Amino acid sequence: MSEAEWVTAAEPWQEGTAFGPAGALASEEDESRAFWRMRLRRARTAAYQTFFHARLRLLLILALSVLLWAGLYWLFADGFWFLRTGVRDQVTHGQIVRAVFGMFFVALMVMLVFSSFIILYGALFRSPEIALLFSMPARTARVFVHKFQEAVFLSSWAFILLGSPMLIAYGTVARAPWYYYPLLVPFMVSFVYIPAGIGALVCLLVVYWLPGDRRHVVLALVVAAGAVVVGGVWLFWSTFARPSGELLTPSWFREVLGRLQFSERWLLPSWWLSSGLLSAARGVWRDAVMLLTVLVANALLVRQAAIWVAVGTYRAAYSALRARHTPRKRCGVARIDRLVFAAAAPFSRAIRLLTVKDLRIFRRDPVQWTQFLIFFGLLALYFLNIRRLSYSMEYRVWVNMISFLNLSVVGLLLSTFTTRFIFPMISLEGRRFWILGLLPIRRETILWGKFVFAVGGSIIPCSGLILLSDTMLQVSPMLTISHQLTCLILCVGLSGIAVGLGARLPNLREESPSRIAAGFGGTLNLVVSTLYIVAVVLMTAVPYHFFLHSGGPRTPGLFAGVFGLAPWLRFWLVAGTLGSVILGILATVIPLRIGFRAFRRLEF
Amino acid sequence: MMIEFDGVTRRYGRKVAVDGLSLRVAPGETFALLGPNGAGKTTTIKMLVGLLRPNAGTVRVCGHDVVRETRAATGQMGYVPDQAFLYDKLTGREFLEFLADVRGMDREVWQSNLRRQARWFELDGFLDDLTETYSHGMRQRLVFAAALLHDPKVLVVDEPMVGLDPRAGRIVKDLLRARAAEGTSVFMSTHTLSVAEEIADRIGIVDRGRLRFLGTVDKLRAELASPHSSLESLYLTLTNGHGDPMEDPADTPEKQQS
Repeated sequence: MSEAEWVTAAEPWQEGTAFGPAGALASEEDESRAFWRMRLRRARTAAYQTFFHARLRLLLILALSVLLWAGLYWLFADGFWFLRTGVRDQVTHGQIVRAVFGMFFVALMVMLVFSSFIILYGALFRSPEIALLFSMPARTARVFVHKFQEAVFLSSWAFILLGSPMLIAYGTVARAPWYYYPLLVPFMVSFVYIPAGIGALVCLLVVYWLPGDRRHVVLALVVAAGAVVVGGVWLFWSTFARPSGELLTPSWFREVLGRLQFSERWLLPSWWLSSGLLSAARGVWRDAVMLLTVLVANALLVRQAAIWVAVGTYRAAYSALRARHTPRKRCGVARIDRLVFAAAAPFSRAIRLLTVKDLRIFRRDPVQWTQFLIFFGLLALYFLNIRRLSYSMEYRVWVNMISFLNLSVVGLLLSTFTTRFIFPMISLEGRRFWILGLLPIRRETILWGKFVFAVGGSIIPCSGLILLSDTMLQVSPMLTISHQLTCLILCVGLSGIAVGLGARLPNLREESPSRIAAGFGGTLNLVVSTLYIVAVVLMTAVPYHFFLHSGGPRTPGLFAGVFGLAPWLRFWLVAGTLGSVILGILATVIPLRIGFRAFRRLEF
Repeated sequence: MMIEFDGVTRRYGRKVAVDGLSLRVAPGETFALLGPNGAGKTTTIKMLVGLLRPNAGTVRVCGHDVVRETRAATGQMGYVPDQAFLYDKLTGREFLEFLADVRGMDREVWQSNLRRQARWFELDGFLDDLTETYSHGMRQRLVFAAALLHDPKVLVVDEPMVGLDPRAGRIVKDLLRARAAEGTSVFMSTHTLSVAEEIADRIGIVDRGRLRFLGTVDKLRAELASPHSSLESLYLTLTNGHGDPMEDPADTPEKQQS
């Protein structure tokens, strides 16, 4: 059955209607061809423009993708090789591999459901393209399929980038037959269709039943995400929260495998995928083809179910959502605004006002900040439970490593925050620049306002999280101070990079901050930020690691241990700290200078 | 009747945007909907083109219920929104071809129509450029061409003059008159009162969701007892007052049916 026929089956009432010359309607096949031709033309133009006018961007994206892919491949190949050589018992080895595959694909499936929901909510209900398509005699099912396929493409791109290195690494280590590799493509594509279809179904039904207020949709999403997070935390807790003596023992290991067996239930699509691929890797091609057939059949069923639901609900939900009542906001000055205005007292009045303005815009868009609240909350939960994870507090080198890893995680989370929120801020000012541009202030002041907002907004949660981690790990006061200094360097530097690059590489045509962040400038910002975090953390972590290896602080007092050290070690400790401070200054000043220069010349 | 609103109501939460709207537009008639910001003009147009569904009442285009027979209704319509969406990575010609394909137009017919529209709207200079390079006026002219590509029986225009230079504005006004003369019904909403006065056969004035007046400009002058007033002063008089809505008896369903 062709795609057009699938769509027609959903809208039989439309058939056979006779119209005059103006009302002649396209057949399903012609309509399908029209949409595909339009998409191919857009893709071809975008590819042509990227290849001929943005080669540097293309090369950077390709290089980063290859680098990420190779890194993941190496990681997985090393892990599978370790399992192959370390676990000689074939039964146990098979159990572990199945558990790894099962958990990996269950986690990806859940993430794909959420990402499809979010992508489709934007694509089906907020995209201006839908107003054009709905005012035309296009079938509702066709419009839905058009956006659904886009969402599947966007979801599968990330899935293939993350999943393929693991599967190819397994095939290499397990010496899989040749047909294992070509089978990966239909397995992965058909698998992606299932969570994407479920995400689409949930999205349509949630908006259909809760259309009155966008906050209801956000609330439903937050509740669902919360349920998944609670489930994950419970699983993690129940697996690792036990006395240290019981950890990493054979009985603990068997129990962990038992707990993870929920991911191997045969009704789960992830089980069909992992079992099919493992069968193919073992050379049992009949089982592999049978499971692929099951996967494809279910993918088509879910897709068709989504089309049927779309035909019945999509237009009504779209209409109801567009006609939602937007409650009027109170425009009084909130306490938090007064507090921020007072806290920014060292800066000029213009900078303080701009900072408060950015804070208000940020605060009044809960869709933007709730996801970070969840991530920061999860990190805080993890830090609070560090001791329950039975790390040996006596082993100082281990504690030191964990504390620096925690610092890196906070830094990486902060870098996604600055990429997602701070970097697009300059681009978003483009459309309202006529207001700021006419104010009697220098253009630099606008960037300084964003910089102060970014530093102020990031330093409080990050510093608090690091302090919590250090308190729970019972690290020395010296290390706590060192971490706080590193945190400050990270916050200031990452803010400088995001503001500077945001001003240097603005995208004034785009209105969606997520799309601005996902573009070339945002990607570059994320890469530069990651490299900066790695450099700063290594500069402080490595000397401190050797410091602890040499015996650490022998005498009580904040810096007492440092003075009794060998001169070379003292030199590296001081040099590492100074180096990270200098790097922080450079990472702040250079991008800001570049940004200032570009922003002064920018024509709106 | 080409366009029929029967007791149409649309609410945004507790706010009533359109309240019991009933009106008819005949073949070849040019109708202008006037009203202050937030009066319900755009909501009315969105219900007409199928983007919003009424909470009560029905909207029909060429006899097709817009909610239940959406494809049939939109197949007879051309729509020019106030802020049109164009695919940035398509040329103007490719964009029009996509619309023609979705409408199921014969290749020869749409190409012949395209030549006519290109001549009328002077599109030839930029039709093969990507739409991302277009100015606002160029976009607006392309959208007009797109709305007329299939010779619609009903043309719906939201703010026709926005972003057009005087020459393009003249072209649009001439075009709307010409289309109406050929039998197309034109339904437009506008703030440009001179346009409504110049080309509309009848006007409707809405305020806070309710139809305050329906009829010709002359009738409005007669009802307000201001025979020499401009439409602007009549409009201001009407929308500043809060009297009962004035109905055109010719537009009541009973009258039209008889």
